[in-house]
Amino acid sequence: MEMFLMALCVSVFGMGVAAAAFGAATRSERSDSPERPQPQLPLVKAIAPTRFFSDTIPAPPVMPTKQVPIEVLLLQIENHVRMEQAAAESFLEFPTQANLHHKTNSPFVN
Amino acid sequence: MGHELLNGLASAEVKQILNLGTRRNVTAGTALFRLGDQADSLFLIERGRIKLTLPMRVRGGEENIFVEERSPGQAVGWSALIPPYRFTLTAIADLHDAEVIMLPRQALLQYFEANPAPAYKIALNLAVVIGHRLQLLQTMWLREVQRTVQVHSA
Repeated sequence: MEMFLMALCVSVFGMGVAAAAFGAATRSERSDSPERPQPQLPLVKAIAPTRFFSDTIPAPPVMPTKQVPIEVLLLQIENHVRMEQAAAESFLEFPTQANLHHKTNSPFVN
Repeated sequence: MGHELLNGLASAEVKQILNLGTRRNVTAGTALFRLGDQADSLFLIERGRIKLTLPMRVRGGEENIFVEERSPGQAVGWSALIPPYRFTLTAIADLHDAEVIMLPRQALLQYFEANPAPAYKIALNLAVVIGHRLQLLQTMWLREVQRTVQVHSA
């Protein structure tokens, strides 16, 4: 009987200590949160891969996936040059700002 | 046929100069001269069209890119009169056969020395041809620079 009572007292005491510890822990957490501001964590930037000497170079234009045959491409270049020559001739005939930068129908400039 | 380099010359002078040269046929698809070749002769186009091209890298390969086209009455190969006497373009008869009068530099220079009056007129005509080409290329270059600026400042 004495042993039982002793075990019971120890258990009750242990539970009391545990409850007190739990209460203290939760009370301090509640009281701290509104007063102390959260520490400002340094902002983590999204790190882009750096390119030596080439950060200012814009991304290359998206090229069409389907390439035209080389003969067609050469013909397009020739037509572009012819149109540019015609535009230059037109400027030399009537030299104005508008004529100088008049846009042709070339697919290379549209 | 009137040739741009011979504008303003008397018909007898034109005949004398044309007699210095020889006629040459250029088969379609073949080159009259190539970039870097020794430029010993000037050519006056009599028939057909001559395409002038420059090499350019396209898709990893080298291609002859159209620069300009010269037609009957016009001249090609004036590098023959200007040091270092090397052609700076390639000239090709593209779709059809062409015919040119080939004027050797040495014969021309001898004629110029003996006949300064027509030589002066030819020099002025040559200046007009070269000057026009310079203005044309300058304009095309400026248009290209304008586009580059627009692309990079957009």
